[in-house]
Amino acid sequence: MSAVWGMTLRGVEALRVEVEVEMTGGLFVMTLVGLPDVAVREARERVRAALRSLDIPLRGRIAINLAPADVPKEGALLDLPIAVGLAVQGGVVPPPEGALFLGELALDGRLRRVRGAVSGAILARDLGVPLYVPRENGKEVSLVDGVEAYGVPDLASLFRHLRKEAPLLPLERENPAMEVPFVPEVDLQEIKGQAQAKRALEIAAAGHHNLFLVGAPGSGKSMLAKALRGILPSLSREELLEVHRIRSTLGLPFDGSTLPPFRCVHHTATTPAVCGGGSRMQPGEISLAHRGVLFLDEMPEFRRELLEAMRQPLEDGSIAVNRASGSVTYPSRVLLVCAANPCACGYYGDPKIPCRCSASERRRYAKRLSGPILDRVDLHVAVPRLTPEELLSDEESSRENSRAVRERVLEARDRQRARWRPFGYSCNAEVPERLLRKNIRIGTRERNFLREAARKHVLTGRGMTRLLRVVRTIGDLRGEEELSLDMFAEALGYRKDGNSWMNV
Amino acid sequence: MDERLGSLLLLNGAQCLDARTIMDLQENGLSPEAFLEGGEKLWKERKLSPGGIRFLSEGISRKWHLQEYERCLSREISLLSFEDPDYPGGLWDLPDPPVVLYCRGLFPPPCGLVGVVGTRRCSSYAWDVAGSLGRALARISLGVVSGGALGIDGAAHGGCLEEGGYSAAVFGTGVDQIFPMEHEDLFENLLRGGGALLSEYPLGTPGKAWRFPRRNRIIAGLAEKIVVVEAPQKSGAIITARLGGEIGREIWAVPGRINEKVCAGSNALLAEGGYPLVSVPDFIDLLGSPGEQKLLFSEDVCEKTPVSPPGEKILAFLRLEGDRTVDNIAQEVTMSAASVTGELALLEALGYIRQTGPGRWGAAL
Repeated sequence: MSAVWGMTLRGVEALRVEVEVEMTGGLFVMTLVGLPDVAVREARERVRAALRSLDIPLRGRIAINLAPADVPKEGALLDLPIAVGLAVQGGVVPPPEGALFLGELALDGRLRRVRGAVSGAILARDLGVPLYVPRENGKEVSLVDGVEAYGVPDLASLFRHLRKEAPLLPLERENPAMEVPFVPEVDLQEIKGQAQAKRALEIAAAGHHNLFLVGAPGSGKSMLAKALRGILPSLSREELLEVHRIRSTLGLPFDGSTLPPFRCVHHTATTPAVCGGGSRMQPGEISLAHRGVLFLDEMPEFRRELLEAMRQPLEDGSIAVNRASGSVTYPSRVLLVCAANPCACGYYGDPKIPCRCSASERRRYAKRLSGPILDRVDLHVAVPRLTPEELLSDEESSRENSRAVRERVLEARDRQRARWRPFGYSCNAEVPERLLRKNIRIGTRERNFLREAARKHVLTGRGMTRLLRVVRTIGDLRGEEELSLDMFAEALGYRKDGNSWMNV
Repeated sequence: MDERLGSLLLLNGAQCLDARTIMDLQENGLSPEAFLEGGEKLWKERKLSPGGIRFLSEGISRKWHLQEYERCLSREISLLSFEDPDYPGGLWDLPDPPVVLYCRGLFPPPCGLVGVVGTRRCSSYAWDVAGSLGRALARISLGVVSGGALGIDGAAHGGCLEEGGYSAAVFGTGVDQIFPMEHEDLFENLLRGGGALLSEYPLGTPGKAWRFPRRNRIIAGLAEKIVVVEAPQKSGAIITARLGGEIGREIWAVPGRINEKVCAGSNALLAEGGYPLVSVPDFIDLLGSPGEQKLLFSEDVCEKTPVSPPGEKILAFLRLEGDRTVDNIAQEVTMSAASVTGELALLEALGYIRQTGPGRWGAAL
């Protein structure tokens, strides 16, 4: 008997699977037990062919047990441990003293990329054993510190390594930030006009405030949302690991970029696709956007049920997916950007194109704009559709590029971290209301202004908290601890009921 | 209940004879009671519609008028027949004045009424004008009469209520119905604020498209002047204005853009000689309000808080040109978008400017 370790995924968590092999005499038959799914059961054919390509024929009755027996196993990544187990049992290689193998086998013995390699690396680190992964998974695996990992091109070189004939070199620790230069896909400089919306993006990025953009079709809402990604701080090593742990679970490629994720959800998406779940308990879009931007375009078109389901993960920064087979928790700390048209036809309030909606249609539409998600949004911004003359008059040279804005954002983030670290928070949007109010000193002039504003604009308690959060971030962007009246005035411009023209 | 009111309720419910015809019959010696006793033969002779005849014969046998009267009593709905001394004189200008008016709230009005009418699908600009007209009228103690519909009607009623003015909404349904549903709150506020809901239709009458143009004649009759804020060619507001013109009411219209269908009707009124309403204060001045009430108005203007110098600059720019974005303003007054946003929020709070569309600003009226 020999014991070789593989793994199976449960959500983003890797579970150790022990591969036991027994060979007895008799006619050739290979059975596989331990709740394998179809991909695992088909491993028999791939493993047999791969071993045959190395002139290792299989004979007799072969029983393969995947332990623990009561946990369902999934995916082709168990091919490699099964092949190693068979080789060890057949006396081709010496038994490894504890090692984790993952990889899908090609019929000629090459190793193919697998899902969940990052989770596997974390498991190997926790177990304190070496890790063998397909070479294509090497980059993402090297994100995990403190693990002895090997990128294996094919079965033959792995066997040579295990026999200590031709040892493989352990993977180098990756430093991705150095490798890929920072290039945002949409630079703020490319966007014409929209100075106010750009300013709101800057505040959103600095304080991690959720953002709501409303404007006619063609006003550039999606472009603005995409530009937000480019002014966010790049991912730290830990964040990169969190992001790629999720991405690797779904088999998404690793490009070594430290740009925060940007995920755009269409309103026809199902709840499991967004929040995670399904029979394999896969992470959803909200988790794929973790540490990055989640963009909900055409927000009023989203089903209410879906928006309700998103409220809790947005609030808690994590989402628990519960199924009869167990429950998994995924992270979901996202910067939310919602976009909507001002009315059903999209042109209400436009100076050139008349709106075709009736008053009641507009009311119905506006009603859909209130609800659980928008209560979590600090910044509300109207994006005007610019006329051709306005577009022409705006010169590119006068516009700031993303790099310059990002510098300010980074400084503001530093200031926030310094202030909130003792309390365990990193940005203004995360800080609970009580702590925020305690830490903000409001002068008499500003207090009077707030009282007046609350009366005129009917600011609710929650609205006031949102306002204070935004004011704090505006102060941090300017590098001032003391908050002045003009900061309050600006923050008031981003309040929720700022879209007064929609009340008709 | 006196017998006369009962007969008139029945005749009103049949919607076949107007107040003037009933008066004529009476002068010829045929009282409403006698008319009802005359039965189907007489009714057919007088060319009543089959529906009306059915209503009358069924109503008489079931004593519908008694039930209707009870219903009105229990819901505090008062009934004004054309013989009532409180029946508004303006309605006699109509060729076909209503026989009975169902009233909820305070009626007859304690002040003169101006009709403010327009389309339901109005622009935000027109909505703003209607609201400020309502407010301005309330400040000089005049009331608003309109149809209680969405859009202009609602804005005018709402503006008037804001300043504590008298407002009357004339329904095309029974006065106990709430149509449109969105205005449930508005109607409640209107009643609480001492206004009135009116209709000539029996209780429980549902909304039917043809009833709304008919009720417009009541708005025209009750109003001293009629302002059409924004209306396309085919619209109830234009019907109101034409009827009003025929019975000698002054017709005012707010000029609109000439390339938009939504104000084609109101613009056509101007072309045909309606008075152009180009300034709310001037219009209010013309209404010839007594001096002390005007003082109240100008005092309110003085109350506005002063604006900061950069705010002044923005305001001056917006007064010159409307529909500007933050970009335009920032460029014009050479300020950052951030400070422009701040100043705009302040100016809006003070009521000097308003958003005219997503991200666009204009000076308030």
